[in-house]
Amino acid sequence: MEKILTKQSFPQWVKKLKSYNVYAPVKNDKDNHWNYETIDMNDPNVLDSNYLNTVLSPKKIIFPQREVFLEFGSQNEEGYDIKATLPDEELSVFFGVRPCDARAVALMDKVFSGDFEDVYYWKRRKSTTLVGLACNTPPSQNCFCLSVEGSPFSKEGLDILLVDLGDRYFVDSLTEKGDQLINVAKEIFKEPGEKDKSAVKKAQLDSEKEINRQIKDIKEIPLKLKEMFDSSFWDEESLSCIRCGICTYLCPTCHCFDISDEVIATSPLKGKRVRTWDNCQFPDFTMHSSGHNPRPDKASRLRQRTLHKFQYFVEKYNHFMCTGCSRCVSKCPVGIDIIDVLNKVNHYE
Amino acid sequence: MAEEFEPKIVAFLCKWCSSAGSDLAGVSRMKYPPNVVPITVMCSGSVSPLYILSAFKEGADGVLVSGCHPGDCHYIKGNYYARRRIALVKKLLEYIGLEPQRFQMSWVSAAEGKKYTQIIEDFVNQLKPLGSQTKLRRNV
Amino acid sequence: MVNLEDLKMEAKRILDEGRVKYIIGYQRGTNGVMSVPAFIKKPEDVEKLIWDPTCIYNLTRFLVDEKRRKARQKEPDQRPVGIIAKGCDTRAIVVLLQEEFIKREDVFVFGISCENTGVLDEKKIAEKVQGKKVKKVEFGENKNFIITTENGSIDVSAKEVLAERCLECKANYPVIGDISFGEKVASGLTQPFLSLEKMESLSGEERWRFWEQQFNKCIRCYACRSVCPMCYCEECVVDTINFAVTADTSAEEKAQKIKWVEKSPVTSENFIYHLVRAMHLAGRCIDCGECERVCPVEIPLRFLNKKLEKEAKELFDYDVGFDPEKPSLVSCFKDEDPEDFIR
Repeated sequence: MEKILTKQSFPQWVKKLKSYNVYAPVKNDKDNHWNYETIDMNDPNVLDSNYLNTVLSPKKIIFPQREVFLEFGSQNEEGYDIKATLPDEELSVFFGVRPCDARAVALMDKVFSGDFEDVYYWKRRKSTTLVGLACNTPPSQNCFCLSVEGSPFSKEGLDILLVDLGDRYFVDSLTEKGDQLINVAKEIFKEPGEKDKSAVKKAQLDSEKEINRQIKDIKEIPLKLKEMFDSSFWDEESLSCIRCGICTYLCPTCHCFDISDEVIATSPLKGKRVRTWDNCQFPDFTMHSSGHNPRPDKASRLRQRTLHKFQYFVEKYNHFMCTGCSRCVSKCPVGIDIIDVLNKVNHYE
Repeated sequence: MAEEFEPKIVAFLCKWCSSAGSDLAGVSRMKYPPNVVPITVMCSGSVSPLYILSAFKEGADGVLVSGCHPGDCHYIKGNYYARRRIALVKKLLEYIGLEPQRFQMSWVSAAEGKKYTQIIEDFVNQLKPLGSQTKLRRNV
Repeated sequence: MVNLEDLKMEAKRILDEGRVKYIIGYQRGTNGVMSVPAFIKKPEDVEKLIWDPTCIYNLTRFLVDEKRRKARQKEPDQRPVGIIAKGCDTRAIVVLLQEEFIKREDVFVFGISCENTGVLDEKKIAEKVQGKKVKKVEFGENKNFIITTENGSIDVSAKEVLAERCLECKANYPVIGDISFGEKVASGLTQPFLSLEKMESLSGEERWRFWEQQFNKCIRCYACRSVCPMCYCEECVVDTINFAVTADTSAEEKAQKIKWVEKSPVTSENFIYHLVRAMHLAGRCIDCGECERVCPVEIPLRFLNKKLEKEAKELFDYDVGFDPEKPSLVSCFKDEDPEDFIR
């Protein structure tokens, strides 16, 4: 369903969401960056007009950096006492999700379903409603969502898409969860008119024009990458990489993880098995217990990240594992630019 | 009646002097508070900042590092290195806001059993009003 | 003023003579105005080199990479590596020399003087131009920067947009250098640790709340460790894998590697990681500010490492990174070392 909500009435909608955990982008007064945090429901400024994008996407909460799988202990000689710790199904709402981050959630959904449904992921995912905010201007000078089949007004992965039309939001509900969220306060929503709908179309066209950066001929890239596996191209491109891990941790689609046991006490035994994010750019990511490491150098790790996103994922899911949010481009400490790398790949002999 | 808070102290004692000093206190049946977990290390110079931080992480309310007097180190120079390193650790812990009384260092020789008991007694009395150490305690 | 053409000429000459394998310097980046590291192998590529206030990186990190690369090669090229180093960067090279991590003949230093200005802080520049896209930033003649945006050029006093660490610079002229560029200008720095005063004037509880809030943000990406030239250990305290593992290492040996820090990014573990790193950098950190710059969640790490730099000076009269012959801080001692805190 399509509705209109004035910015003045917006806080009233938020106040009615008492049965949900409400997350929105928050900026601490000393920091220069935004992060998703639960908000004060009475705060009228849920979506600040200066908001661009968060440092960490909603992945921070839907696929948390630390997830306890189970607790174990041994109280007696009869064996181990193991208890699964599934996340509770508290309803959550995210406001201010940019379309690229929402598409990224849709991609992660593919990974965690299929042959094996990840119970922990889905318990959170099913109880999460994503309310997106279309990008009237690209949040970053490096945004390239258009190159990877996305758009600043994309609806993929979202339950509701909000479009800022100045004094009001165009509210486009796309799923049942979205409808439910609107029905919580349906009296404050109005019906949209033709003017509103054409304003949305115009905003979309204007926004798409402002996206500067582009990966040319992206459809050719998966095949090109396949041919370049053994090339020395990767040695040259990765010279300045310091294998810090920022690109991977900040990426909304990266999902590699590690599982380890945190032992709290040894007698009696007590501990937890946890899943934490892992990072293919760390040198010990592919370290075998024999000491052999198939990816011992930066070149092979940069190659791995690029191929995973632009070749392997395409071969498996027919989709690029990148939504063009450009966090890796903006935050790389040494200026390694995946857009530039891919454009070079296209020209590579 | 409510139980009084009993602080837990982890003491890193060098084998040749301080640990021997604590043994002397024990053998001479000197009374002192039983709040100490003594850990014998070969030399105070071998105490790494990691040991101290791990002790706080596991819930120690106070940490003591004790070694031979300057000039008496079994390994000649170990306690001089300790003096430098522990000074830096102490300044760092104070800087992040840990109460300065929680981390202490002392020179205790093998003959100073009495001094050892006094150090522990004073340490426990200083820690009681501070309460439990929660800042660096593990939260996993 | 540093003449960029002189720098390029000398770099080309050294490459032509085959005296270095390659030169690490700065070149134009592909996103935004900031420079990026350059690795110049061919003499004609020296044209890519630039020198302007966007050259903020500490390139010494790549000397560590070079050493690792050599260790993997069967017959490595023994020629030195050239590096373009600002005053602060040369102090980092001195620390690596002090610790004999690299030998003096492994590095050829093109020292550059910032001539009492320094490099810029990206956030301050963004504020100055109020969101407009910056095309170029250049050194001016009078301690100023010339910022060019799509609307034209503006003149800004360097002090307003300098990186925080440049305001407390201790080495505005290269400490070592095979060839040096720029003039040696008196620094005028009277209070080297002024930025710490505010922090030190807070009470213990207030400091605790500050650091707790900061370390709660940490996502343990280890960018601070990766960018620091002094963090060159193959096997770090926080890694749970022993890099010295071979096919002969027994399962028991592997199991017995102590896990000091859990992988989870919770407060207690984050504290231990950062405090241990600060201790390992005591007397070695030269305040290049890279750790704070790269942190994606803006933790002010300089305040942590700088405290120990100050204590090194005040307690032990130790200046970091000036004399390659000097032993490192914690591997030497003086009879007069303070012991008033020891009972």
